[in-house]
Amino acid sequence: MHYTFEIERGNFADAGQASSSVKRTLKQLGVAPPNIKRTVVALFEAEINAIAHAYGGTIDVDIDDGKIVMVVADQGPGIPNLDLAMQEGWSTASPQVREMGYGAGMGLPNIKKNTDELKIETEVGVGTTVTMTVYLA
Amino acid sequence: MAEKESFFKHSLKVGDRCQGCTTCMRSCPTGAIRIRGGKAVVNDNKCVDCGQCMKVCPHKAIYIQQDDFALIQNYEYRVCLVPATFIGQFDEQYRTKEIYSCLKKLGFTHIYEVEHEVEYIVDLYNQYMDRHPETRTFISPYCPAVIRLIQVRFPSLVDNVIKVRAPFELASRIIIRRLMDEGAARESIGVFYVTPCAAKIAAVRNPVSGKETCISGVINMDFLYNKVQLLLHKSDNDAQPINHALTSRDVLWPLAGGEACHFRGSQYAVDGLQNVLNFLEKLEDEAVDAEGLVEMRICDQGCVGGVLATNNRFVARKRMEYRARLFDRLNRSKTRYGRYNDPEFCKWIDEQMEIPEIKPRSIYKLDDNFAEAFKRAERMKKIEKALPGVNCSACGAPSCAALAEDIVRGDAKMDTCIFINRHSQASEDAIRSIWGDRVKTKEINKENKEDK
Repeated sequence: MHYTFEIERGNFADAGQASSSVKRTLKQLGVAPPNIKRTVVALFEAEINAIAHAYGGTIDVDIDDGKIVMVVADQGPGIPNLDLAMQEGWSTASPQVREMGYGAGMGLPNIKKNTDELKIETEVGVGTTVTMTVYLA
Repeated sequence: MAEKESFFKHSLKVGDRCQGCTTCMRSCPTGAIRIRGGKAVVNDNKCVDCGQCMKVCPHKAIYIQQDDFALIQNYEYRVCLVPATFIGQFDEQYRTKEIYSCLKKLGFTHIYEVEHEVEYIVDLYNQYMDRHPETRTFISPYCPAVIRLIQVRFPSLVDNVIKVRAPFELASRIIIRRLMDEGAARESIGVFYVTPCAAKIAAVRNPVSGKETCISGVINMDFLYNKVQLLLHKSDNDAQPINHALTSRDVLWPLAGGEACHFRGSQYAVDGLQNVLNFLEKLEDEAVDAEGLVEMRICDQGCVGGVLATNNRFVARKRMEYRARLFDRLNRSKTRYGRYNDPEFCKWIDEQMEIPEIKPRSIYKLDDNFAEAFKRAERMKKIEKALPGVNCSACGAPSCAALAEDIVRGDAKMDTCIFINRHSQASEDAIRSIWGDRVKTKEINKENKEDK
């Protein structure tokens, strides 16, 4: 099953539509609540990252019988130092973003914690593609 | 709609006045209602007793089954277990003891307040939270409709609910003990709970704890309100005033915010069906990070918004706040029940008040087998695309998405959609003139019909 969602830059108010929709499907499939939670939390974090840092992008979700693969691709500034970005508490979020309660530097570490596989492809000035996999069974 | 067996029992009933108008079906938060045979039919496993259907019904066709009032005469000691919400229904000119004296005139021998023991409930919540330091967000177990809603729609949050039974469970046990201390035999005591809503009746008859209840019967608040109001209006009302022991915090407890304010740390007070749904959704996604106690009430403004509360919720709230101030001025204090000093008794109470487990009862699962559920989910998505998406409800389901689900569950057919089942050119033209391109071609629909 495939789903596609658009991400609009700076629109925090509408964040979470992708995760809500995915959540509904996983509930229909009878996936265990802890796995639903991991999936939804990771997807929501990745979406917030793209909203906060990038100039828009897309979310592609594929569910088959064993796993869910979520690809969040943005056109954005890219991540200059990925190792730093993976550290808890490290953030380049703007003061405005922090004022909204985001930008605590927990995004990527939280995604890593909640997914089984995580691949980040990034190029400065071009964009970032985050591929997250969660095994559902 | 053949369901295996229902694990929820309800007191909400659909009566003969039902016109099948779809109003209730469209407002049900769990999609529990369908129209069949021209009338609303409720799926017991999906219904959470929130009372929304009853509130919106334009024909007053939905009612709450209550126990026969004459039942109270079976007991020598007839206790009216009354929530503070009840006194909020009456004008400030009537003193609380006047209202209570009318209850006595109606046949009760004792009046006891549901909120009489909330101080101990607060202790139980705090002890539970201390025992679960790993949990960040605690959801109040006070509103039974919220617990059921979590079970069916937000099963991943069942472990966040504080596993302590409702105040009426404690109050009923204490008043029974008090009467037994005075020499009454257990079987001669009948405790009758006055309910402001359907959810609390369901919680008495079919408690989530699975444990027994000490309530002998449930009386609808509007029924009792009418009876008391009649007595108050009689000029020859010679009922003897009786004293009561409510404090200001007790009176405010059933109101939105009346519970959360007793707890340390950050608290949230969420009231109203839509607000509760939104907040639970966000909690589940961890899109809000709520640390501490989250009070949740299905009804707007809390229990004064209950479907059996007769008066306007804002007026009732004002009246209760007035009485709370009055009780504060009178500096009323109540004597704590002596047995609370006995550790053995407290141990017994704590056991009685514990909810062993809250089971998740997801209503979304399309099949127990993942592969089959997957097949159904895929088919459902396809069917949803073929349906017009105007949610007209003419098929007897609340939305096109719900019809798609009914179809994959085998409870409905594609043909039940009147858009799809249009045969004449005249109906084709009429529908297109209204809905334009949203009406899918017959070819797509055919393809879907042959799909299975």
